[in-house]
Amino acid sequence: MNTKLNRRDFVSKSIWGATASMTLPGFIQQTLFNLDARAQSLPSQGGDGPIILLMEMAGGNDTLNTLIPYTNSIYRGARPEIRLGTEHNILQITDQDGPSVTGKNEPLALHPNLTRFKEMWDDGELGIINGVGYPNPNLSHFKSFDYWHSAEPNGVPKDGWIGRYLDNQCDGCGATTGIYINRRPTFAFKSNAATSPSVTFQNPQFFNWRDKQILGREKSLEGLYRNLIGLDHETDDGVSEENDTLAYVQRSAHSAMISTESVQLAMERGGNLINPDWPSNGLANSLKIIAQLIKGRSDTSVYYARQGGYDTHNNQVLEDGPLSGRHFDLLQTLNGALGAFVDEMKAQGNWDRVVILTFSEFGRKVIQNGSYGTDHGAAETLFLMGGQVAGNQYYGLYPDLAEDARVSRNSMQYNVDFRTVYRSVLEKWMGVPPSAMSAIFPSPPRDFQPLDIIR
Amino acid sequence: MLNPLPQESWSRRNATHLLQRAGYGGSPEEQEAFYQLGKEQGIEAAVDSLLETSEDWSSLPWPDWMQSEVDPNGETFGNQGVRRREYVRWYFKVLLGSQPLASKLLKFFIDHFAVDSATVGQYYRWIGMFRYTETLRRHAAGNLAGEDAPFAGDERLVPPGHYGNFKTLVNHVSWSLGMIRTLDLYRSNRGNVNENFGRELLELFAMGIGDEYSDDPEYTEEDVAVAADAFTGRKFYNFRYYPDENRYNNPAGNQNPPLPPASVWQNRGSQDRNTKGPFYGYETTPEGNPIIDGDDIIDVIFDTDRCAKHLSWKLWRYFASPKPSKELVAALASKLRDDHGYEIRPFLKDLFLSEEFYDESVVNAQIKDAGDYFVCLANQLGVTLPTRDAMEDVMQQLGYEVHLPPSIAGWPEPEGPGNTWLATGAMVFRMNMPSVFTHHNYEVFTTGRTRNSMDDFPDVDWNVIAPKELRRIEKFPLLLENLRQRFIPNRELRKSQVRTLLDRYSSVSDELGELEGVRELVRLVLALPEYQTQ
Repeated sequence: MNTKLNRRDFVSKSIWGATASMTLPGFIQQTLFNLDARAQSLPSQGGDGPIILLMEMAGGNDTLNTLIPYTNSIYRGARPEIRLGTEHNILQITDQDGPSVTGKNEPLALHPNLTRFKEMWDDGELGIINGVGYPNPNLSHFKSFDYWHSAEPNGVPKDGWIGRYLDNQCDGCGATTGIYINRRPTFAFKSNAATSPSVTFQNPQFFNWRDKQILGREKSLEGLYRNLIGLDHETDDGVSEENDTLAYVQRSAHSAMISTESVQLAMERGGNLINPDWPSNGLANSLKIIAQLIKGRSDTSVYYARQGGYDTHNNQVLEDGPLSGRHFDLLQTLNGALGAFVDEMKAQGNWDRVVILTFSEFGRKVIQNGSYGTDHGAAETLFLMGGQVAGNQYYGLYPDLAEDARVSRNSMQYNVDFRTVYRSVLEKWMGVPPSAMSAIFPSPPRDFQPLDIIR
Repeated sequence: MLNPLPQESWSRRNATHLLQRAGYGGSPEEQEAFYQLGKEQGIEAAVDSLLETSEDWSSLPWPDWMQSEVDPNGETFGNQGVRRREYVRWYFKVLLGSQPLASKLLKFFIDHFAVDSATVGQYYRWIGMFRYTETLRRHAAGNLAGEDAPFAGDERLVPPGHYGNFKTLVNHVSWSLGMIRTLDLYRSNRGNVNENFGRELLELFAMGIGDEYSDDPEYTEEDVAVAADAFTGRKFYNFRYYPDENRYNNPAGNQNPPLPPASVWQNRGSQDRNTKGPFYGYETTPEGNPIIDGDDIIDVIFDTDRCAKHLSWKLWRYFASPKPSKELVAALASKLRDDHGYEIRPFLKDLFLSEEFYDESVVNAQIKDAGDYFVCLANQLGVTLPTRDAMEDVMQQLGYEVHLPPSIAGWPEPEGPGNTWLATGAMVFRMNMPSVFTHHNYEVFTTGRTRNSMDDFPDVDWNVIAPKELRRIEKFPLLLENLRQRFIPNRELRKSQVRTLLDRYSSVSDELGELEGVRELVRLVLALPEYQTQ
């Protein structure tokens, strides 16, 4: 059964060869698993290797007002109240216009709040990928995010693309190879393996076993828990063979048990951040935790952060003009938090190890709606940042705004499949061999040609 | 399909399963009494006893301040925080109340019709949230009076219906201030439409998408647009400024006054009054009327197979198991729509009586959501709610901020019920949490916090949980069996677990006394992975 092919099997494969695991009794696999968990303080790729930071902008970011085709007459005509123009101090990209599917280059500008994005563009550390999407766009938040998270558009998602990446490429790596700072898990990390080497928590302070010292207990709570859930037991691995739900919970408990220690260790090693100037908001708090984990050489290669609120059906801008409103505030938060993170990475000397990829479940309609907002659309613009990113460069083509219609599935068409972007990051940045791609992106079409996103 | 469970199949296992799913389980004594009820008077009588709701539940009083129209403490920033915590605590007080099935349904509605307090309003946020939740609660309580459901507001707006009827509920929600705010209906006007509500009505509230449980055609983007057009012009008065003649009077001495008049209204000028269609293939409503406004759209939607299947599927997932077969969903849908006209309680009765509900694949196959987890924990320990501050902290850690759903889809569970609740951090918290009750270990959630009003965290009556005569070490097997029956009925402990628990109990008892041993034992049983399922 597929779910039996778990990390333990990978571990056992790496030690005893590929076939051993199928005949291994459960408890021996378990012991190997424990060995593996305890070996986490050994240096591995995550501690000094390349890092991806996935920056989810949830709700459907209006990328037309993020990277603005400010001279485009369709844009200006479709958004009489909410458009941004040169009178709004937009950050014009003067060194090059964006190639467009119309064949005519599009003069583009960043939203006035994206000052740090503009600096990175000028410094060659920001790449812009226009026209990203997938065939038969789905305008439901939840379906579309399922597609982005699973990288299986128009299918029934079973697991996440990061989950599959770790399943396939993470032979014997630590329990915290993927970290999502949130209260609820992301489908992107969902693994087909029984135990995925990724964790999700909101606050590292509480990601620990809390016993009261004054109770005079001679044995730590952690030790007892390990025993009760079968982690330290010689003959009983604590995982039910009869009940899938219970087995799922038991594995979650194992994962929690194994990962708390490495997270606490990395946070402790990380200590204080170097950059003293962080804005005070939820996203900045998430990025601070990530920065501290990176500083503490956490054995982690995929970080994941989320900023919600982009579903700007109303008050995307306020009636007194586009330099106000929800989208304005969101991009201000994003710019400030990411900017502080980049400063911190530079101060740590880790900026060359990090690639940040922003994404949303879809872009929005070109035509504004009845309430100073926009409804769900299709193609969007992605941003890629990092010390090694081949920046100051456009990838993909700016879509044709004329394809948008108020009422229909038709919105701007994509010309870069998002799986191309995912594959580029894995292959060009994480060094995943092309031969592994068919396992990570199993559904056809599979012939996505990676973009040269790294210098 | 959906044949009633034969009387001879009634067992302690099935009785306990039903108690856990239709409510929050029960003490060992309650489990036994419930089993005996079904044995002596029949399964149907046992199920009926769960479906009953009394006025007592539905009139659980609101906080005093809610009974004035304007918040007496003013609408300051600081006060908003107090109100938020009051709301959270009030909600859990309702869940912990004496009407388990009704409170379970309320929890379902809170997820199905999720609204976000931040969107509901700046100044009337908590009054708006309470009123919205009250609408859901009345529907959860069901058709108590046996007559038409009085809509809490201008009754000319809504078609007649019953509390406890899913279709009526959707009508009421579509006319609620909470939803009109949350999904932008108040900003959607004829010729200048905001599609937010139209889309989510189809996708989340009624019809669903995909072919996981239904092979019926999906609605199209054009259908979304038609629905959005039909729901134009729904407006609300600001709570603070609605006209004098509607002003709300609190009759002196009346602790549970009726709800204040509606603050929502239909602006005819901004409503699209054109005849619409086709909508999902319907040229007219099922009664043959032209499709014009939102009520007509709801009439059509509730006539479709897709809607009956979507709602049946969701109810089955919530009460039974994550992945019902298409055949089962179709059978349930026929019950819900054709037999019961979307009346929820009669439908649930069929569900709870069915053989399928007691299948091996259903029993113990559910991960407790945050609400189940907390209410079970409190009930099993026999404690009342902690202070409102502590309550809010606990729910944050569990990932269940009831006033702040992660999205309009509520707390979505792409992998099936449960998984969304067990992020690694939440798992750690659930293993730590019991020691707040057993050891007053506030460090579970207070590190670095200045607020410290948890000292009132309720204490457990240990003589009930672990009678003194069972605490001697030679009685350990009996003690453990007692705890198992209370906390993880229908589950067996593994040998290795029993050994670890025994070692620990005996060493702590020796060192610190039997009561400390009991506290330790209970804390460990509650931290077991087995405790997270039901």
